Amino acid sequence: MDDDRLVATFMRELADARPVIGPQLVEPGVLWWKAQLLRRWDAERRATAPIEVMEPVQIVAGLATAALLLLWALPSLKHLLTLG
Amino acid sequence: MGALTEPQFGEFYRGTARALWTYVYRVTGNAADADDLVQDAFCRMLAADVDALNDEDRRRYLFRVASNLVADRWRRGERERSWRERAGLVKPSSTAPVDTPTALTFGALKPQQRALLWLAYVEENSHEDIAAALGVKRGSVKVLLARARARLKALLTTKAVW
Repeated sequence: MDDDRLVATFMRELADARPVIGPQLVEPGVLWWKAQLLRRWDAERRATAPIEVMEPVQIVAGLATAALLLLWALPSLKHLLTLG
Repeated sequence: MGALTEPQFGEFYRGTARALWTYVYRVTGNAADADDLVQDAFCRMLAADVDALNDEDRRRYLFRVASNLVADRWRRGERERSWRERAGLVKPSSTAPVDTPTALTFGALKPQQRALLWLAYVEENSHEDIAAALGVKRGSVKVLLARARARLKALLTTKAVW
């Protein structure tokens, strides 16, 4: 028997053999709704992604503005403190 | 072709799930892994844009997804095994029931060889489909299949279990 026929016969036998443990397959409806939920979560995650990206940018911009304001107001503050 | 509806999916699932499970089970050798991976593969198929595909193409897509998941699981298992060996931990003893000699012989092949032979002989996929499913070059499929056949023949000859 050549290799190909030997392997083909063996594979046919294996495909026909009943596995020692059977599958525990869930109902298709369960998978359908699970996939719908995953789709919805994925869409929500994609929709909120720009907000999440912008959050650290906002914090840095806020801190930079506060620092600039402080620098700008420093001479006036010093003047006020010396008057006091 | 319109969007896949729930009843259409149900019909497709009932016609495909068992074949996919048997493929995954024969490649991984673990029924619990096969249960998980089949569920995951169907969820990924539904999450992907497969509305334009017919049932035959969806089936091919599903086997491709499952093959990728099997490869990922195997790589993770190998990393875990190597970590356990380095840490000197003993692997928990397997409680898997004893399989048939045919299945044991098949289990002695490498996972990729098992997948190759299954897709070629049971699913009767073309070399192109096998290449896509296993993430190998189309030209390599013929060589890999020849090696897998030779290895299986050697196992059958030496073990004489079949």
